[in-house]
Amino acid sequence: MATSSTTTYSPSQSLEKRQQQQQRRRLFREIDWKRSDGREFHQCRPAFLRTGAASAAAGSAYVEFGTTKVIVSVFGPRESKKAMMYSDIGRLNCNVSYTTFSAPIRGQGSDHKEYSLLLHKALEGAIILETFPKTTVDVFALILESGGSDLPAIISCASLALADAGIMMYDLVSAVSVSCFGANLVIDPMAEEEACQDGSLMITCMPTRHEITQLTLTGEWSTAKINENIDNYTVTLSLLLYYR
Amino acid sequence: MEVEAYRRLFPLPYYERHLAESVRPTPASRPIPDTTVAVAPSPPPTGPPSSKVGDTTMLAAIKLEVMTPGAESPDQGSLGIEFHMPPICSPLVRPGRPAEVAPVISKQISDVVMSSGVIDLKELSLINGKAAWMAYLDIYCLNADGSLFDAALLSAIAAFSNLQIPLVSVNEDGRVIAVSGKLQEESKLELVNKEKRKLSLRSTPFSLTCMLHKNYIFADPTAEEESIMDTVVTVVIDSLGRLVSVYKAGGSVLVYNSALQECIILAKKRAEELQKILADALSPQMDLDSD
Repeated sequence: MATSSTTTYSPSQSLEKRQQQQQRRRLFREIDWKRSDGREFHQCRPAFLRTGAASAAAGSAYVEFGTTKVIVSVFGPRESKKAMMYSDIGRLNCNVSYTTFSAPIRGQGSDHKEYSLLLHKALEGAIILETFPKTTVDVFALILESGGSDLPAIISCASLALADAGIMMYDLVSAVSVSCFGANLVIDPMAEEEACQDGSLMITCMPTRHEITQLTLTGEWSTAKINENIDNYTVTLSLLLYYR
Repeated sequence: MEVEAYRRLFPLPYYERHLAESVRPTPASRPIPDTTVAVAPSPPPTGPPSSKVGDTTMLAAIKLEVMTPGAESPDQGSLGIEFHMPPICSPLVRPGRPAEVAPVISKQISDVVMSSGVIDLKELSLINGKAAWMAYLDIYCLNADGSLFDAALLSAIAAFSNLQIPLVSVNEDGRVIAVSGKLQEESKLELVNKEKRKLSLRSTPFSLTCMLHKNYIFADPTAEEESIMDTVVTVVIDSLGRLVSVYKAGGSVLVYNSALQECIILAKKRAEELQKILADALSPQMDLDSD
């Protein structure tokens, strides 16, 4: 067993890696560059989606967007915690965590509070909470491998798992993120692209109802670009086609 | 009363009535559920293989980091084994409240791996007294349906069998750096580990958990069976048929020698099966290597 006093480091944290990163950052400033996996700027990574991955849960789904791999289990509707107040409508409880080997450098594999909250907000509007009063539905996500655009993968996967569990929803929820690099917009960014982006936009929508459940913007954006992007959410429609 | 309702309300009488007829009331009356091992050829240092025993699913991966070996063992690397039960695996685990069995299984696995001598820690050494590998093995339970230890141990062994150690070199500061394929030609750096790219595993341990109830023995209990009856015996046997560990933590059933021997015989049979399953899972990998 490891003695806690020894300190360890990953051999890949080398100088070469850092130089590569800086080179990439310079490259992304330019107008025309190739994405490292050969995709077009407006092309999503190949996706793989499967429901019913885990038998212990009421419903579950497994999603791969390129190298990003996520598994979501849904439990319930089950009794709310004793301390909870009486509620006419159902409750949704979300938790997102990472495995220790999800990132290239071994991490601590802890809960991700921000993603848990965002996942909750993205799904809340799509679920018909009135159908399970006094009870709670638990949505737990585990990121097996993080390869960029993690949150969109979690949200899409969670909505599939909810559907698999037979939870009543207005529509499936699908999500996609877009990164902004100077003049360029890049859809479904990878981790290395996310690390260098100027700004990012994530959109979650219910495609058949044309309703947006969540829109998050970070970084530098111009108004014109935002409008252009909201139109872009039709691209997420194409993501939904994979589901059916 | 309907059968399903009877099963839920009176689980123990339901089981006992089946047992009286020598039938196991699991979905299909099979003695041991299907077992599969998948080894993913993902880039080193991770190699996340998964193993599935019935519905219990495990995912294990090893991350290699560099450490300075301790003074008492300058030519040895180190292992850190951790077993995780994230809330996705079972309705009984809630976030923020880690499952009690997880640290117990962690300890059991690392005890078995260390005591069976399956891994020679000297193989993890890089530079005598200066640098050695610290191998972090993390096992995640993705779906818990009983006999977690057996599945976790199988995935741990699969992960070690599939571990590929990256080429490394030492830079001017004395730090160990990874040498990727492209850099290999350009750099004049001397490679530290040209050999020793894979661990040579000695006699691998395999385990079988048996549940005891009155005078019945069931191999490989499911989560439902574990919740109804409480006495389990876990036997670990290595690939040469030697006994590594026998674990029986109390329980309401006291065991006679004969029952324990029966468990050991079952575990021996199981170890042979698992060895074959593991070899089959690893063989396509070997074909790739030889090309």
